[in-house]
Amino acid sequence: MELQFEKKADYTIAYVQGRVDTTNYNEFEKKMSEKIGESDDSVIINCKDMNFISSSGLRVFLMTQKKLMGAKRKLHLCNMQPAIKEIFDISGFSQIFSIYDTEEEALKS
Amino acid sequence: MKKEHIHIKNRVDELPTLAQQLETLGEKWQLSMALVTNLNLVLEEAISNIIFYAHEDKKEHQIDIDFVLEKKQLKITITDDGNPFDPTSKEDPDITLSAEEREIGGLGIFLMGKIMDSLQYKRENENNILILKKEI
Repeated sequence: MELQFEKKADYTIAYVQGRVDTTNYNEFEKKMSEKIGESDDSVIINCKDMNFISSSGLRVFLMTQKKLMGAKRKLHLCNMQPAIKEIFDISGFSQIFSIYDTEEEALKS
Repeated sequence: MKKEHIHIKNRVDELPTLAQQLETLGEKWQLSMALVTNLNLVLEEAISNIIFYAHEDKKEHQIDIDFVLEKKQLKITITDDGNPFDPTSKEDPDITLSAEEREIGGLGIFLMGKIMDSLQYKRENENNILILKKEI
């Protein structure tokens, strides 16, 4: 798992790469929390290069969503690979996240 | 009928090894990439539960994973010598709840059940045996 951040307009964009699983979800959560704490930006997680997620990874997405909603900040997800989208669908996560096809759409919403 | 056996130790750092071995098996048996990814998820969920919760001692334990492919049916049997734990007895999370209401966690076993056609559990000779089946 690799995580990089970029700031665009009023959004902090997180680019997640590779596998988000039991071996690294702690690190993912820690880095996300730290970054979220640095500003009042809304957040986009660009999932273009995320090719695997397990329930530990889904936990971090849900925790991030709860945290940002509590602070009235938006969380948008985008560029999800079909296999990952399927896992979000099965888990009922597609209903609780705003998922966009592209980063441009996520930025406009 | 094709058979394959993998065994790992009850350590988190064994999970990448398992993923790798599963990929090799996928190539050998010519399973689709999508299926291998889903099986990887199912195994990670099952094995993580064993690694984190099955043993109270700090000793090393072996986890056995047996794969059998017969016609179009894939059967995976996971055996561990930990405390009795029946994953099939866990209640499904309510996936219709909102983000505020959703509880953190509890999705692993649910995902296993959704991806596989069936999960069966039995306790035999002090071992937990979990049988996962899927038509492929």
